[in-house]
Amino acid sequence: MMLTRFLILIAFTLSATSAIAQEDAPIDPQEGLATWAKIFEIVSHPRCANCHVPEDNRPRWSGAHYGLEEGEWRYHGMNVNGGEDRFGTMTLACNACHQQENSDVPHGPPGAHVWMLAPVEMVWWQKSSGEICEQIKDPERNGGRNLEEVAEHIDHDHLVHWGWDPGPGREPAPYSRKEAVEFFRSWAAAGAPCPDVAEATQDYLEDQALPETAE
Amino acid sequence: MQLTVNGQNYNVDVEDDMPLLWVLRDELGITGPKYGCGIAMCGACTVHIDGQAMRSCSVPAGQVDGSEVTTIEGLGSPEALHAVQAAWIEEQVAQCGYCQSGQIMAAAAFLSINPEPTDSDIDQAMSANLCRCGTYPRIRAAVKNAAAKLQGV
Repeated sequence: MMLTRFLILIAFTLSATSAIAQEDAPIDPQEGLATWAKIFEIVSHPRCANCHVPEDNRPRWSGAHYGLEEGEWRYHGMNVNGGEDRFGTMTLACNACHQQENSDVPHGPPGAHVWMLAPVEMVWWQKSSGEICEQIKDPERNGGRNLEEVAEHIDHDHLVHWGWDPGPGREPAPYSRKEAVEFFRSWAAAGAPCPDVAEATQDYLEDQALPETAE
Repeated sequence: MQLTVNGQNYNVDVEDDMPLLWVLRDELGITGPKYGCGIAMCGACTVHIDGQAMRSCSVPAGQVDGSEVTTIEGLGSPEALHAVQAAWIEEQVAQCGYCQSGQIMAAAAFLSINPEPTDSDIDQAMSANLCRCGTYPRIRAAVKNAAAKLQGV
């Protein structure tokens, strides 16, 4: 009887140790950060950021497609405003012009099954890499999703997919949907480090470094 | 495909990707909606689809199969003008008139969802309907006039 209890205790101990070991598995923040940098390339691209706008609810036009230099931008033409509901319902609905598919006419309106601004708490326009990184992890500001659910959102949402299929003449977002999902899962597995967090980690590692050995 | 335009049912034999404006003008002979830019930038082709203002030049016909389409011809009649049409005449909005069917359709749909608009609301709703004659002050006045009519003021 005592032996059985002892073996059970050992088994529990080993199991708990294993679980802790998995949780504490060493992560490489630099690798995670390098992956995040690719994700930031995507989310800060005009195909994404132009509609992840702040409280003014005004979509932006930026990018070479509009004849603008890098860094230049303007508001969406014709005083378009998505309103607080972000569909333009109370003034001019987004889908008055943006239909369910891309227009195949040069400079015709792009389209997807649903066309709208992203919710205001998901603002990416002119936000830093660190700010977007923290936002995308925060369920209060990412639609109540955990990281895997964000990855699934990237994998399944038609309007997100439009970023890589934006119609004739428009530069698509970098990489591909499949790569974006892989990047996101890889970044999450690395502990979802954000640039500011990495700086703190780097400072910590530098503080802990042994002094150089004298020649 | 089946289309209902101004309350009348039509069977049209067209490709799904033909723009609705082409169906209206070339197949059905309904020429109130105008061709302006062809890329949803000017608003001259605006019609109502299930009550919502939309740019018919950029709506594929296949997308509105079974929907109810209203053009300027079906908004009111000479005997019973829609409030926006009546306001348009009172304010003498039109100059060349090419954009006005789209303007009126946009204004009518807008007032159905926002019956008491501010000047800013009007500007946001109507700015995507271009008028090369520059009648914008009269357009705004007519929209406010129509809003008052619809409110019974």
